[in-house]
Amino acid sequence: MSSFVSLAEAAALVRDATTLALGGMTLYRRPLAFVRALLQRAARPRDLTLLCFTAGLESDLLVGAGCVGTVRSCYFGLQDFGFAPMFTAAAQEGKIRVLEETEASIVMGIRARMAGVGFMPARAWQGTDLLKLRPDVKSIIDPYTGETLTAFPALRCDTAVLHALEADYDGNVKLNNNLGIDNELAYFADRVIVTAERFVKKIERATDGPIIPAPAITCIAEAPRGAWPTSCYPLYPLAGGEFLRYIDACNAGKFDSYLSAVLDQ
Amino acid sequence: MDFTIDELISVCIARQVVDGEVLAQGINTPLVMAGLILAKCTHAPNVRFASAIGQGLCQEWGALGVGRSEDMWLGKALLNVGFAVAAADMLPKFHPKEFFRPAQVDACGNFNNIAFGKDYQRPRMRLPGSGGIPDVSVNHEQIYLYVPRHSRVTFVEQLDFVSGLGHAPQRRRGHGPRYLISDLGQFDWHDGHIRLLSYHPGVSIDHIAKKTGFALAIAPDVHETPPPSAAEIRLLREEIDPLGVRKLETLGGGARKDLLRTILQREGAW
Repeated sequence: MSSFVSLAEAAALVRDATTLALGGMTLYRRPLAFVRALLQRAARPRDLTLLCFTAGLESDLLVGAGCVGTVRSCYFGLQDFGFAPMFTAAAQEGKIRVLEETEASIVMGIRARMAGVGFMPARAWQGTDLLKLRPDVKSIIDPYTGETLTAFPALRCDTAVLHALEADYDGNVKLNNNLGIDNELAYFADRVIVTAERFVKKIERATDGPIIPAPAITCIAEAPRGAWPTSCYPLYPLAGGEFLRYIDACNAGKFDSYLSAVLDQ
Repeated sequence: MDFTIDELISVCIARQVVDGEVLAQGINTPLVMAGLILAKCTHAPNVRFASAIGQGLCQEWGALGVGRSEDMWLGKALLNVGFAVAAADMLPKFHPKEFFRPAQVDACGNFNNIAFGKDYQRPRMRLPGSGGIPDVSVNHEQIYLYVPRHSRVTFVEQLDFVSGLGHAPQRRRGHGPRYLISDLGQFDWHDGHIRLLSYHPGVSIDHIAKKTGFALAIAPDVHETPPPSAAEIRLLREEIDPLGVRKLETLGGGARKDLLRTILQREGAW
């Protein structure tokens, strides 16, 4: 059942060499305040495995700060803003391990875990080079039809972090509808941390976003504008100028000074 | 009627749409979105859009944006289901048509969105990744491709990695790409090999061959690409994409950055 903590207390829960999933989708409702709190720790986390359905600025900051050993994502980029500069450089220099993922490998891996089985079969990947890039992923023969299928291995996740529009005093939270895989992360990760724009007395049921109930949540921290500079629809749009400033800083080799300035704010 | 290359590409994409289809829309592909909405505004009023942003189904549309594109994908959606349900459960049922932008494509229509360079551990250029391409390209029937800047960097004899399956002998289901449009011409596949169907106004077949890294086959009835109509151009410029988001895919360098800044400031997403 969820407890209420500060952002710093929530960030202290992430241990070295564990798997961290960051919720939201591309440039939308990403847990940036939580990432900043992680990077403000006296001892920054090391050798994290990032599990992001899509990875964006929140993940690029962690890669640039040297916190990430392995990336698992089907898309790591900044959408209209182009490549994620620190990920791109680190991957090219061989400084991080990339486990090539796709929509199917992540979704089926989560479903396998939630079903309590070792793998989930699907038709994806057959005939492509993905099976060569991921020799740990095996093919199997469907015992009923004889068709060769891909057996996507179950995923696991130590900590998932979701950013919510609201949390209430019963410990429930409300998301918006640009979900990515947030609904799945809430029930699949061992520990679920939620940052919330604000607290309300009681969350009202509505169609503009799902509610994640208190029993699924480990702890909740208040974080107004906690997705900035990504969006938190309908509260605020993405801050395009900040994305451009970030890219310019990285391209000029000034990631460290950009990060210091952001953390000092 | 004057038109620009982004407008011609979007109009050609619109012409590939059949009324009633479900149209999937990936990440950062505004030339495609402009074309799909144009189809809905003209000959295909009953299409529905399924987008990576919002992960649901829209039967209404709104003007293209960058900083406020959720106004359409969340604000006008019929339903939003999340990515897992959209990709694994809902979209396979609808046999969506989808346009992908390959970083490399070969003559058989295999394509690559993983990395440039043979060494996967230390690639010459790491790309953002292949999204759902290795999932749907091996299984679906309606794979379409588009290339905003046609060059030998993209049209190659040999791919570095195959993430999208083309007209390849190892294919067991689905169908290789049906169609490709670039800024130089339109193409289809005949006997598993890409061929030029039409060259855009002002472009020679010779020029296209020189910009292509493999032997170019040419359809017997090759012709000039029919230009956009005045009505199509007006819809694109005034209704569908007054901010010019589609042009982000054909511009590069400083010009692209200037346009992006202007769009974001006009949207109030700064």
